[in-house]
Amino acid sequence: MKLVGIVGTNATQSTNRQLLQYMQRHFADQAGLEICEIVDLPAFNEPEQHVAPAAVQTLSDAISAADGVIFATPEYDHSIPAALKSAIEWLSYTTRPLINKPVMIVGASNGSLGTSRAQAHLRQILEAPELKALVMPNVEYLLGHSLQAFDANGDLVDADKRHELDQAFNEFVAFVGLTEKLTPTETFFEQSRQFSWSQITNGEDL
Amino acid sequence: MKKLVGIVGTNARHSYNRQLLTFMQRHFQDQAEIEILELTDVPLFNESTDGSDSPVIQNFNQKITAADGVIIATPEHNHSLPSALKSILEWLSFKLHPLDGKPVMIVGASYSVQGSSRAQLHLRQVLDAPGVNASVMPGSEFLLGRAQAAFDEQGNLKVSGTVDFLDSCFAKFLKFVDVIGELNVPDAISYQPGTYAVHATGHNGEIPMSVTLSKDRIENIQIDTSTETAGISDVAFERIPKAIIDGQTLAVDAISGASMTSHGVIDGVATAVKEAGANPDDLKKRRGGTTAAQPEAPVQTLDTDVVIVGAGGAGLTAAAKVLQSGQRALVLEKFPSVGGNTVRAGGPMNAADPDWQNQFAAIPGEKHTLKALAELDPQTIDPEYRADFETLRGQINDYLNQTTGQPGYLFDSKLLHRIQTYLGGKRTDLNGHKIYGQYDLVKELTDHALDSVKWLESIGVQFDQSQVTMPVGAIWRRGHKPMGDLGFAYIKALQPYVESHGGTIMTETAVQRLTTADGRITGLIAEGPAHQRIEVTAKAVILASGGFAANVKMLQKYNTYWTAIDDDIQTTNSPAMTGDGIELGTRVGADLVGMGFSQMMPVSDPDTGELFTGLQVPPQNYVMVNQQGKRFVNEYGSRDELTQAAIDNGSLFYLIADDEIKKTAYNTSQEKIDQQVAAGTLFRANTLADLAKQIKVDPAVLTATIKAYNSYVDAGEDPEFHKNAFDLKVQVAPFYATPRKPATHHTMGGLKIDTGAHVLNAGGQVINGLYAAGEVAGGIHAGNRLGGNSLADIFTFGRIAAASAVADECAVETE
Repeated sequence: MKLVGIVGTNATQSTNRQLLQYMQRHFADQAGLEICEIVDLPAFNEPEQHVAPAAVQTLSDAISAADGVIFATPEYDHSIPAALKSAIEWLSYTTRPLINKPVMIVGASNGSLGTSRAQAHLRQILEAPELKALVMPNVEYLLGHSLQAFDANGDLVDADKRHELDQAFNEFVAFVGLTEKLTPTETFFEQSRQFSWSQITNGEDL
Repeated sequence: MKKLVGIVGTNARHSYNRQLLTFMQRHFQDQAEIEILELTDVPLFNESTDGSDSPVIQNFNQKITAADGVIIATPEHNHSLPSALKSILEWLSFKLHPLDGKPVMIVGASYSVQGSSRAQLHLRQVLDAPGVNASVMPGSEFLLGRAQAAFDEQGNLKVSGTVDFLDSCFAKFLKFVDVIGELNVPDAISYQPGTYAVHATGHNGEIPMSVTLSKDRIENIQIDTSTETAGISDVAFERIPKAIIDGQTLAVDAISGASMTSHGVIDGVATAVKEAGANPDDLKKRRGGTTAAQPEAPVQTLDTDVVIVGAGGAGLTAAAKVLQSGQRALVLEKFPSVGGNTVRAGGPMNAADPDWQNQFAAIPGEKHTLKALAELDPQTIDPEYRADFETLRGQINDYLNQTTGQPGYLFDSKLLHRIQTYLGGKRTDLNGHKIYGQYDLVKELTDHALDSVKWLESIGVQFDQSQVTMPVGAIWRRGHKPMGDLGFAYIKALQPYVESHGGTIMTETAVQRLTTADGRITGLIAEGPAHQRIEVTAKAVILASGGFAANVKMLQKYNTYWTAIDDDIQTTNSPAMTGDGIELGTRVGADLVGMGFSQMMPVSDPDTGELFTGLQVPPQNYVMVNQQGKRFVNEYGSRDELTQAAIDNGSLFYLIADDEIKKTAYNTSQEKIDQQVAAGTLFRANTLADLAKQIKVDPAVLTATIKAYNSYVDAGEDPEFHKNAFDLKVQVAPFYATPRKPATHHTMGGLKIDTGAHVLNAGGQVINGLYAAGEVAGGIHAGNRLGGNSLADIFTFGRIAAASAVADECAVETE
């Protein structure tokens, strides 16, 4: 199974990056996890043409080629970071690779809440008609006090949190398999791919 | 009338949210003044590259801080607020918190019938986050759906019912602003009366402070500044306590140029307040009572003979000289305090004064240096200097012959000063471009440096005649050291001289541009402390505003000498040194020279650029190791060698010392050392292995490095880096590691001038009425400035600029 893990921040130091790196190693037997960064993406600015800049295209291609996507998001001011939002806006405005893509959301924060509110926002965002991702229901993985969560080797210190992640990941693997059966023909999503924000000017509120 | 800020929540070129805010601005103009802010230039938030101080973020910060309330108009992107809007809110919740307690109204427009409903809910939650902590008006949700059909051609909302609802929302918001204003008034504060001994953070570490509190007032703040460098933070120690007491508040703006000490005083008072049983946060929320709108300041017009930009050593010297010629002088300084970089100088200025120097005995090595100089191949000397070099060679040979077999006296001459300035400044940059000091300027400097010493004495600077000193990097003993107070000694004499002879010094007045008419400079326009516009007409303008060592972007832009200049490099300079005069000059056509060359101080504090933190010991005693724990350079190397080696090794490095070496530190006390260890800015451990762990290097590597170093000390020879001299081994616990990084120290390039300090244009022509003196000008020190020559430069060219300005422009009057 091929997965893409998106580091939801442009910060140099990030425990969300660490979490994805841990998952990459820890689940190596079950899936190949390619870690993608958003730090080099430009800030979204609604270009005249709906053409993805090269860095966005690269990220988009990786997502298209993957069986599923894992977002690891920090929480800034009760929501996802502007940098992650900007990356998602690029994808939604240009190539739309997330349509019908199975998605798992994880998050790490230094506070005790472990990005609960950012994850809820991200779920709502990924359900927007321009994105239409298949976000795995019922499962959320929240890693609080993340600065103390990893040992020197980058492994999760707490056995319960390790176990919880194993379970969540296994569910996601099963979910990816399940969504393959769910998926109708490609043409079913043709309309979604054609969707544009200005289309609704004609009164078609999708 | 209330002042509001409206934020357009998108960076899109076309936006109905912008249209909505523009409509509100017009429609409500009788009820409130709405200033619209755009997100166009806001960079994506990144916690790793702090942009809180950038003009665009500061603009948002200041406008929001000054406003009574904020209206945010948000579109909806992917069921949430746009990243551009989220980004500015992240900037405004990171280091700055202008929205804290600020009344906010949310509106939104969208193509769909939703009218940004989901984005508005997310935005509410974001504004509730503790870092933002805005007071968002509840209810009265204004959602403008199908916005593309909502406005008429004049940009007015078409449907009167929509306008009515917006009217009621806005009326409620104006009331909400008042209600929130009352909520922000803190509760009455009461203190346990008494005098509290606390600490303030000064420029050179912690300093004692005592705060006297009565039951309900801060009565008195006393700060013991005896350990502080005179001149640097004085203004903070005067003004901050006064502002705290006057306003009975801790919401006091830091003084620019002394922000560290400003915050140090505020934090110290906060500690006292806390000890007295009150909550300092309440005092931080309490506005100083100056928020009442000030009337628009009128334009101020001033007329003078010579206006001088910058109140450092060069500017004050020029002003004094103008006044001595019977003309009027006005000095404008952008910072609250005068003195510029001169107050940070060590004090000694170079001037060859053989009559005085000859009274001192030569010290070992000096004759050798002279001999080596005289033996230089004249063909290696650039042609303009060759005749002087030949004459100097004669002087040196006469001296050597005359003193054969004796230790001899300290030799010096104007020519030795000139040739050493020339040789010391000779450099080649990364592009193979060679540079050395322009002959006529170096001649002017070395011929008149001693006159400058005499002139300074005449206006009240006292020099220590009992010793001739050599500042770091000076090459030769010709330093005239003022009595007491280091570089501040000059300012202490110059400032009162200028003020008592009819000169005017205006601080917190930043020059914005020079004015011209018919190809000549006619004065300038500045902004005063109350943001008032000041228009100065003058016969001449002297730029004496210093270099640009505190402007990293500018250094990086021009740099051709260092392989890299880090974004976060610190400076030993005053933060005022941002190249303003160079900008002012080039905008009226001035030419630049030698801009690619700058000088770094290799052993500076990585966080502050300070020289005198950590353990500063003589180079024969410290061991420099890189971030791998290995030595990487001859610790006895020149400033340039040490700097480039540090840059090649990732900039950050450590000075390793032991308990014996510590005793040779000339900058510190046990108390300061303990403070720095506690603060994590200096590392101490009982074993080298533990020390290595603290600075995150491999213990085995550091231990091996020190073992090898100690063996070189025993053998008296360093086969690795050929250190010239060593003294102590590193062997007695506890061990210390002082983190260091190169910091910017002096910028060599600047405005092109002639020997009369006239500023020249690209065609080599004088720009009439414009003069430059000091670090703002280039061409003299070329690739490297000798220690002690900057003071010689400012006092010499400061006087020359004034003399030229008076002779060229002011004599006409007598016709």
